[in-house]
Amino acid sequence: MPVNLALGHVSNDFLIAALVIYSLSVVAFAGDFAFGRPRRADATARVRQAREPATALAVVGAASVAADGASSQDRPVVSGVGGTQGTAAVPPAADSMPELPVPPLRAIGQAGPWIRAAMTLGALAVAAHLTAVVTRGLAVHRAPWGNMYEFVTALTCVAAIFFLFVMIRYRAWALGVFVTGAVVIALGLAETIIYTAAGQLVPALQSYWLSIHVTAMTLATGIFFVAAVLGLVYLAADRYARRISAGRAAPGNGIMRRLPTTEQLDRLTYRTIVFGFPVWTFGVIAGAIWADQAWGRYWGWDPVETWAFITWVLYAAFLHARATAGWRGRRAHYIQLLGFASLTFNILVIQVFITGLHSYAGVS
Amino acid sequence: MFRTKRRAVVLVAAVITGALLVVVLVAGWATSGKRDVTDVNGNPDAVLYTAGHRPLAPDFTATTLTGSRLSFSSYRGRVVVVNFWGSWCVPCREEAAALAVAAQRYAPAGVAFLGVDVRDTTASAEAFARTFDITYPSVSDSGAQITLDFTAVVPIAGTPTTLVIDRTGHIAGAVFGQATYAELNTILGQVDGKAAAR
Amino acid sequence: MTDVRAPEAATTEPRLPGGPARGAQGLADWLKWGWRQLTSMRIALVLLFLLALGTVPGSMLPQEGADPAGVQQYYTSHPALAPLLNHLGLFNVFAAPWFAAIYLLLFASLVGCVVPRTFRLAGSARTLPPRAPRHLARLPHSAEYGTTLAPDRAVEVAAAVLSGHGFRLRRPDDPADAWVSAEKGYLREVGNLLFHLALLGVLVSVALGGLFGYKADRLLVQGDTFANTASALDEIHLGRLATDADLGPFTITLNRFTASYITSGAQRGQPASFDAQVTYAARPGGPSRTDSIEVNRPLSVDGTKVYLIGHGYAPVFRVTDARGQVVYDSPTPFIAGTTGNFLSDGVVKVPGAQPEQLGFTGVFVPTWVDVAGTLQSAFPAAENPAVSLIAYAGNLGMNSGAPQSVYELDTAGMHRLTAEPQLLLPGQSLKLPGGQGTITFTGYVPWVSLAITHDPGQVPALACGIAALGGLLLSFLVRRRRIFVRARAGGPTSTVQVGGLARTDASGSFEAEFASLAAELRSAHSQHEK
Repeated sequence: MPVNLALGHVSNDFLIAALVIYSLSVVAFAGDFAFGRPRRADATARVRQAREPATALAVVGAASVAADGASSQDRPVVSGVGGTQGTAAVPPAADSMPELPVPPLRAIGQAGPWIRAAMTLGALAVAAHLTAVVTRGLAVHRAPWGNMYEFVTALTCVAAIFFLFVMIRYRAWALGVFVTGAVVIALGLAETIIYTAAGQLVPALQSYWLSIHVTAMTLATGIFFVAAVLGLVYLAADRYARRISAGRAAPGNGIMRRLPTTEQLDRLTYRTIVFGFPVWTFGVIAGAIWADQAWGRYWGWDPVETWAFITWVLYAAFLHARATAGWRGRRAHYIQLLGFASLTFNILVIQVFITGLHSYAGVS
Repeated sequence: MFRTKRRAVVLVAAVITGALLVVVLVAGWATSGKRDVTDVNGNPDAVLYTAGHRPLAPDFTATTLTGSRLSFSSYRGRVVVVNFWGSWCVPCREEAAALAVAAQRYAPAGVAFLGVDVRDTTASAEAFARTFDITYPSVSDSGAQITLDFTAVVPIAGTPTTLVIDRTGHIAGAVFGQATYAELNTILGQVDGKAAAR
Repeated sequence: MTDVRAPEAATTEPRLPGGPARGAQGLADWLKWGWRQLTSMRIALVLLFLLALGTVPGSMLPQEGADPAGVQQYYTSHPALAPLLNHLGLFNVFAAPWFAAIYLLLFASLVGCVVPRTFRLAGSARTLPPRAPRHLARLPHSAEYGTTLAPDRAVEVAAAVLSGHGFRLRRPDDPADAWVSAEKGYLREVGNLLFHLALLGVLVSVALGGLFGYKADRLLVQGDTFANTASALDEIHLGRLATDADLGPFTITLNRFTASYITSGAQRGQPASFDAQVTYAARPGGPSRTDSIEVNRPLSVDGTKVYLIGHGYAPVFRVTDARGQVVYDSPTPFIAGTTGNFLSDGVVKVPGAQPEQLGFTGVFVPTWVDVAGTLQSAFPAAENPAVSLIAYAGNLGMNSGAPQSVYELDTAGMHRLTAEPQLLLPGQSLKLPGGQGTITFTGYVPWVSLAITHDPGQVPALACGIAALGGLLLSFLVRRRRIFVRARAGGPTSTVQVGGLARTDASGSFEAEFASLAAELRSAHSQHEK
């Protein structure tokens, strides 16, 4: 079937629109840093406070009232918000129950006007991005990740959607500027340096395994992309925390104060990688099945296969490091970032410059 | 309790390893039993099968280079030398003269020679026969079917290969590679169990 | 998280980091110390790094297995460095002993950890959850509320709720005590162990496949048949423990090969599809079937896979010698060079020509075009085929000596007949000077190159891979956690305390589960109050 060039142009237009809207949302996130109310992005701190008996409860309640509701996203559940309690009666003061989360939209509403704007723009940008990916697929009558441009576009879309969910679930508004900013940079690169016009695929790529293997790799790369950004934020927050405890920095830095604690960042990054690692493993297995169909062997140490293996080993090392004394924290994140570096190296260098069976990048 | 368990694990592992070793040794000994082939003239690629251990040659029907049909079973009762060759094959060209001479020398004794031409075309094969004065017939095996059938009973690894079939249709001797006149002579002498001095 | 090994703190005696405990320096102690080190997380981490690092040269340098020509090229472009790299095994990294040492050590470390943990898991499956601690408020997650139910009744209700969620319960021995312990999530360790064992299974499968499998190649001209036997294959690589007898006795006939190319646009000349129509029989005398082999669609016959890996053109020549005999009449496979668009080189050897043997070197172009005096191909499909020949006569060197390549002509014993290359279109003949004969280019047929592979370890490796993935998902999704409920009598209302503990919950998601469980327990108690 011939390629629908008009639709290909539509896809490109949507991508540029997404790029612009992402940039605006980055500005809005940054505005929240500059002008928004200081807050910490999770419920754990308040859960611990709430476990102390009534005085703590009163303190939290008072604080939440005084702070205009914008600073606390999770009110104590005693009054029956979102929970499974049958009655709304006020229980005795000796009660202490852990909190149930507040529904997401309300949480966004409570987070302040800058976050509201940033999330709206972010959602619009993701919608435009997704449209770009889908129309590209319709234009070429196949899954739209057959060359590097399409791959980068798709993976950044995955990263953006995944991160939106993460941000909403963990109320981690402060991280928005970093991940969205990274998406903008990646898309910019895609548009300028590695753009490829819509076209047909060589016969070796015409297989339904394209949908399975490359989709899985796209998803996993998008998820690891988020983890890498979070890892960088973790390292910055950790360095700041260490400088405070060493007495070399004052704890008043506006940006750092708004970030989640290093522990939360660490856990968030960990959960992201835990999500991505099985997807990457599945992608490698699916790639091996496809390689067997196409090239006659399921593993031949082709450069791209080799670097996918290296990436897998490094992320496995990260998971092991988190359970090893002395390797948790910073060192584990160095490993994780090394893994992402090897992934990026695989995409940008190996697939382009080193010829092997995988040389389908389409970049001249 | 853990210590005991570890000992148990070690013991089990040792027993399994020991059992495996025993199995391997026994298998090795069993397969290297009395050999049922002997080398010809010291060449490990030329063998004689001792009586009672001769594989049965498969039957086949094929077209000769001149276009007529030939059935291998028609050779039953005679000693047949079957030579797998190709005009493109350098060792085949080297041994062709020996085969041609042997064919003429053993013709009075009733020994038949038959060529099986592999991966070849009629024109090239006929030219080969003309060049080397091959008078015995050859059948075309471009699809390697005859080769495949014979490979099921003897390990034909390439071209040329020469097989000597006895009167009952069993393979008495084989040369896996280029054959010399002396090797053919030795094998043919042993086919009927009598040494022949020719 | 998926920690395979016991926590570092589980040592029973103070130990020097550099060796076994003081006072016990015998060989057995050193071995024990060495084994403990090997199976520690730290060493596993180091080995993982080494594995990743060791793989890097395998992707940057040309490797013998995949690109032997590239290795040769490296030798010519780096004459001093190449032998050194070869000594270190860097041109065949994945078969090198040092690489094998890394992954074998890693797997030894893995086995050394997984086996004791398997025993431990089997043991823990039989033991009950621990007793409820006295001060549940000190646990990382706890809740407290009042209920009008009697303590033992409250505990009954709580036990029912927890049991409904699939927790394993433990009741107090003394019926006067009012508590219940609940534990869940044993599958996590099962998944963890399954993952690591499955990796071992993958390694074993790969090794077995390599030992007992084989790979072979065969070039097949359209119309020809071949049987999968050692003498009929062009190249065969057997695994160490495989023999010729392991070749499945199938036969394949290439009925027709078609290739289509993109005819317009930016991708003009790129291949669009390849299709080889074949008839095959799994064994002599077996039923014949037809099928088509395409890229991404191998033929599976008798446990072996046949892949279409290349194709080309075989021009058909008929050669008549000086005596008027037709001494050659056959398609001759020509191999495409690097110039593009299937400009192909080949050789015609006519050893049967009399009185002198004849040889020809030729270039076949599917769509010929003259570009400033040189012959080039404008398109990969045979829209306008032509062949250009140079003729030789003399001794081909085939009557004795080493076997020759069918694609190379040794002109050492030959003299050239034609001064310049002669271009022939289909049907045209070239009359050789000196009455040496004629060569006619009668047409062309396509050929395909088939790869035949047999890998008995393939399916087990896939099964282990899927098992590894399943184990991974289990170990990530399931958390080992404990819930304790205590009820204390205190006047008209009893106080119910709920405590929760998640072992190895580095992801922090137990919080939400505990909150919802506590709420559910409370609601159950409220309902039973009525």
